[in-house]
Amino acid sequence: MTTKQEYMALLEKSLGDRLTIREAPAPNELYLSLHEGALALVPETCSLLTRSLKAHFTTLAANDERMLNGRFSLYYIFSVPPADLFLILQVPVDPRHMEVPSISHIIEGANWFEREVKDCFGIIAFPNIYKLASHPDWPEDMHVMLKDVDPGQSVPRVKGRFDFKEVEGEGVFEIPVGPVHAGIIEPGHFRFSVAGEPIISLALQLFYTHKGTEKIAEGRSPRHAVFLAESISGDSSFGHAIAFCHAIERLSGFDPPPRAIVIRTMLLELERLCNHISDIGAILMDVGFSVGAATAFELKEQFLALNEILTGSRLLRGVAAIGGVRRDPENGPSRHEALRKTLEHGKRSFEDLVSLIMTSSSVMDRLETTGVLSPLDAYRLGITGIAGRASGIDRDYRRDHPHCAYPESHVHVATRTEGDVLARVRIRIDEIRDAFALVEDLQGRHAGQPILAQVTPVPPGRSALGYVEGWRGEIIHWVMTDKTGNIFRWKITDPSFHNWRALTLAVRNNIVPDFPVINKSFNLSYSGNDR
Amino acid sequence: MATIILLSFLFQIILVIALAPLVTGIIRKTKARFQHRRGATVLQPYYDLVKLMRKDVVVSSVASWLFHCTPFVVFSSMVVISLLVPTVVTPVPLHWVGDIIAVIYLFALGRFFMALVGLDTASAFGGLGSSREMSIASIVEPAMMLAIFTAAVTAGSTDLSVIVDRLSTTPASMLNPSHLLAFAGLFVVSLAETGRIPVDNPATHLELTMIHEAMILEYSGPYLALIEWASQVKLVIFLALMANMFFPLGMATTWSPSALAVGAGAFLLKVIGLALIVALVESTNAKLRLFRVPELLVVAFILSLLSLILYFIVGA
Repeated sequence: MTTKQEYMALLEKSLGDRLTIREAPAPNELYLSLHEGALALVPETCSLLTRSLKAHFTTLAANDERMLNGRFSLYYIFSVPPADLFLILQVPVDPRHMEVPSISHIIEGANWFEREVKDCFGIIAFPNIYKLASHPDWPEDMHVMLKDVDPGQSVPRVKGRFDFKEVEGEGVFEIPVGPVHAGIIEPGHFRFSVAGEPIISLALQLFYTHKGTEKIAEGRSPRHAVFLAESISGDSSFGHAIAFCHAIERLSGFDPPPRAIVIRTMLLELERLCNHISDIGAILMDVGFSVGAATAFELKEQFLALNEILTGSRLLRGVAAIGGVRRDPENGPSRHEALRKTLEHGKRSFEDLVSLIMTSSSVMDRLETTGVLSPLDAYRLGITGIAGRASGIDRDYRRDHPHCAYPESHVHVATRTEGDVLARVRIRIDEIRDAFALVEDLQGRHAGQPILAQVTPVPPGRSALGYVEGWRGEIIHWVMTDKTGNIFRWKITDPSFHNWRALTLAVRNNIVPDFPVINKSFNLSYSGNDR
Repeated sequence: MATIILLSFLFQIILVIALAPLVTGIIRKTKARFQHRRGATVLQPYYDLVKLMRKDVVVSSVASWLFHCTPFVVFSSMVVISLLVPTVVTPVPLHWVGDIIAVIYLFALGRFFMALVGLDTASAFGGLGSSREMSIASIVEPAMMLAIFTAAVTAGSTDLSVIVDRLSTTPASMLNPSHLLAFAGLFVVSLAETGRIPVDNPATHLELTMIHEAMILEYSGPYLALIEWASQVKLVIFLALMANMFFPLGMATTWSPSALAVGAGAFLLKVIGLALIVALVESTNAKLRLFRVPELLVVAFILSLLSLILYFIVGA
C-alpha cells in the first residue's frame, strides 16, 4: 500500500511544474492547485492522475469565488482507493474567459458534470457544450448557480427544443414517455427511438425535480442544511444527511462519539436493507410476478415500521446531526426486542423470497440477459454502486474509503460481471444478507455511551469532502464555508448522476416492454440527480 | 315458441353478460389472497362499471368516428357471441345463425376495431398496443382454430350445439387423450386471447409493457366501461367454451325448470373453477418476455395438432 507521503512525493515529481500541492483539514485530502496559465494542461493532468496514479474521477464542483479572489474555480475530485486518498484538482477560471478544455474524451464519466457546470455557472468545457441541467426553454445566459442570481426569482421562458440524437430510417419511430408517468415515480422524460420493438437509442431529459438545494443552502448554517440534505433524495435521506454531517465534521476536525458512529452504521445498513428489498419487489412487479412482489413489499413494510419504532421516522429523518445522532435506536428494551425480532423474522422471510425467485423459471427468464451493461461500458462511464458492482466495477467506499464503523466491520464487496438485471438483483441479495449480518454484529456496541458530541463552531473559509456508501452507491458532498462558518458552496453528488447514462446504454437492443424492468433494476433517483 | 326463444335469449344474456364482472372480481380476489392481501370485494368490477358509466367521456381532438363506434362494435360482438356459445342449455339461442367459425370471426371483428382505434388517436402507446395485438393474434388464431376443430372433428360438426350434444351422449369420450390435449391447447389460447399473464398483464400500470390496455389507454367514461365489460364477457365466453365444449356435464337439453337449475349450477361451478385456475396460473408465473409469447402459442398449436393426430390414430 502506498501512503499519502509517497503519493505527495510522486505528485510533486511528476506534476510539480504545473501545480502546487496543499494539505487540507481532512487528513485524506490533497488539493492540487493548478497554476494560472496552465489551463491547457487540465486534460493531460487528469489523464495522468487516472492512468498512472489509479485515481478515479468522482465529481466536479464549480465555485463562484469572485467575491473572494476575483475568479471562478473548478474542483475535479478524484478518489484513490489503494491509499484511501482524495485528490482535488483546483483549476482557476478567469471570469473574462469562461472556458476550460473538456476532459470528457479522457474521462467519459465527466461528460454530464461538465455540462452541468456549463448550465449552472456558464463555464464552458470546450467542446462539450450540450445542455443538460437547464431545460430547453431556459435562456442560454441563465446560469442559476452564480452568486448574483437570486434563488427566489423565476426563470424566464424562451422558445426551445429538446435536442437529442435523432435516429432516422425506414420503420424507425419515436416514443415519447413522460415526464409524468403512471404509478408513483418521479418525473423524467424518455425519448425512445425504436425499430419495431427493439430500442435503437434512448435520450433522457431530466432535471424536472431541480429544487435548487445547493443554491438555497448558501449562506445558511450547516445545522440548518442537515434538513435540506435529508430531502435531496427521499430514499437516501439518511445517507445524504450523514454524508453532509461527515463533510462538516471533517472540515471542523472532530469525530462524533463511538456510539454515534455505530448507530450511523446500523441505520445506513437498515436504509440499504429497506431499499434493496423494495427494489427486488419492484423488479418482480414489473415482470408481472405479483406474489413475489407482494412478499417483498410486506417485508419492506416491516423494516419501515422498525425504522419508526427505532427512530420515530420511517425514512430515518431527523436522526442525523452534526457531531453524532439525535436518538439512540436501542434505547429501551422494547426497541431492542423489536430490532431483534424483526431481524430474525426478516432473515427467514427474505431467504424464502430468494428461493421463490430463484426457483421460478419464468422470473429468471425475464431477468437473465436483460439490460446488459458491459464491464467495459461501466468502466468507461465511471458507473458506481450496485450498478457498477453488477458490471465488474469492484468499488465500495465502505472498503475503499472506510468511514463510519466500517473499518471495524468485515464488509464483503459483492461483484459480478454479467451486468444484466439478474446480476443487479443478485448483488442486492448479497448485500441484504451482508446488511443483516452487519446490523446484528453492531447491535449493542458501545451501548449507553453519549451519542452527540459537544459541537464546536464551524470554522470559516474551509472546505472538505463528506462521503458515505449509500445503498445506491457513493454519496459525495463537498462543502466550503464562508467567513462566518456558514455554507459558501455545497456540491452534492448522488450516485444517480453517474449512473443515468448507464441506463441509456443498457437498454440498447432490448425490447420496449423490457424497459421498465431494466430501469427498475438501476432504480436511479430523479430528485438526487436533479437536486 | 316465440316466448321460449325470447326467454332463452334473456337467460343467456343475463347469465353471461351480467355475471362477467363477477368472474373478473373472483379472479382479482383470488389473486389478492395469493398476495396476502385482503383485496377488494368480488363485486368491485360492478362498482367500477357503474362509476365509469356516470362519468364524462374525454375525446382526443384528433379522434375520428372510429373512436366513437368501436366500444359499441366490440361490446355488441361480445353480446352476439354470448348467444352462440353453449352455457346452460342446448341448442344455443342463435344456433341457426352461425357455428364456431362465426364465433372466431366475431372475435376477430372486435379485435380489428380495437387495433384500429389504438392507432386512431395517434398516441405512441396505442400504436405499440395495436402492433403487438395483431402480431400475437396472427399466431393465436390458427392455434385456436385447430383446438376447436379437433372437438369439431370428434363430433362431426362445427355447430357448437351439436358438439355438446354428441359429447353428452358419450361421456366416456370426454376423457380420451386427444380431447384432453385439445383442451390444454385451448386453455393456453384463452390466456393469450383474454390478455392474462403470462401473455399480457391486466393489472399493470406500465404503458410500455401493455398490449390490450395500451390500445384502450385513450378511453374514458362510459366508452371505457363498455370496453372493460366486453373484455370481462370475453373471458367468460372463453371459460364457457372450455367448460362446455370439452366437459358438457350437467347441460340442460330441455326448458324444464329443474334441468335449467341443474344446468345453471353446473355452469357456474365450472366457470368459477376455471377462473380459479386462471388466477392460480397468474399468481405463479411472471409475464413472458414479449418475444417468447409466440413460443407459448406454438406450444398450444402443437398440443392441438397432437390431439388431432391422436384422434385419427386412436379414434374417438
